[in-house]
Amino acid sequence: MEKELTMPKLRPEMESGVLCAWLKEEGDVVSAGEPIYEIETDKVVNQIEATESGVLKKQLIEEGDTVPVSSPVAILETK
Amino acid sequence: MLTVRNRCHDPFYNQAFEEYVFETFRDENMVLLWQNDPTVVVGCHQNICREVRWPLLRELHVPVVRRMSGGGTVYHDLGNLNYTLMAPQDQMPDYDSALAPVIAALNDLSIPAQKRRSCDIAIGEQKISGSAQRVTGGRVLHHGTLLFDSDLELLDRITTHHKNDCFQTKGTVSAICAVTNIRDHLQTDMTLEEFRAELLQRLLSGGREIVLTADQEREVERLRDEKYCSWQWTWGKTPSFSYEKTGEFMGTPIRVAYSAKRGILSNVQVECEAFDAGKAEKALEGAKLDPEAMEQLCLDLTGKPELLNFFL
Repeated sequence: MEKELTMPKLRPEMESGVLCAWLKEEGDVVSAGEPIYEIETDKVVNQIEATESGVLKKQLIEEGDTVPVSSPVAILETK
Repeated sequence: MLTVRNRCHDPFYNQAFEEYVFETFRDENMVLLWQNDPTVVVGCHQNICREVRWPLLRELHVPVVRRMSGGGTVYHDLGNLNYTLMAPQDQMPDYDSALAPVIAALNDLSIPAQKRRSCDIAIGEQKISGSAQRVTGGRVLHHGTLLFDSDLELLDRITTHHKNDCFQTKGTVSAICAVTNIRDHLQTDMTLEEFRAELLQRLLSGGREIVLTADQEREVERLRDEKYCSWQWTWGKTPSFSYEKTGEFMGTPIRVAYSAKRGILSNVQVECEAFDAGKAEKALEGAKLDPEAMEQLCLDLTGKPELLNFFL
């Protein structure tokens, strides 16, 4: 099943975040709890962890791009 | 609350030390106080080349180190005291909760410090402390600078007046602020050592000090060598950018342009009649964004290191 991963809202005032680094490449196996990417907002670097296991099928965002909260950033193929 | 003693002033070691403590002591609330020799520290996702003029830093023998938290470029020296707090995210969910104990400790020392902007501490309108965070696995690392007795003139020269605008780049851009030293605002003068002890006592609030074991020490050194001293971390993590600079070199027009992704150069264009521009293009295409190698190339081509100012 394909699952869309979206930019999380980490603090009440957060409207967008910069996806600054992919920690998994397309095709990589991802286990639940493993970090997939890093975002930066307001001088905080957050590692965003997978909530379920699967294969990272598609990165939808380039490193360095600003992404609004709830917008898709990646597609995860889950079982 | 625990503190781990660290009296080393090597910025590469200190970044590794902080990361090691963060990754190792996951069940404790931690406070660290530490200092760096003169160093420029850039944020995790900053374009180093845009933030600092490498030739100037080389001239001043000031190294550049990349940290693991977000935010902008700061200058450290032995007049600056760094603090690090580590706690579970539910205990330290935002900047306010992290800054509160630090501001309270400063106020307790009769320093009229207050929070300013989202994560600065200031006396009046002048900043004495900037901070940044990293969050992994439900734990927060919050760290900040405390300007106690720093060389503000050098800080200004390095971090504020030498932005390099030849870059089209993504990545975090630094803010420029008016700053002041805490020591100038003390009711009764004290040394940085005394300030450090007073601050630690307040932040530790009855906790204890430990030291790393010899094995842990070796792990820190390994992390220093493999990560923080590596080209890959310091330069390779520079966000993608394109660069263009034109001017005059040895009395002839010069233009240098290139792109860089993950620290690797492409689309290199060098135009200048004062040296073998084709040779420069060939040497740089596909090469690492490595200022020392670029400087050597400049010397090989012309014998003049100042050519580097057009390449970076």
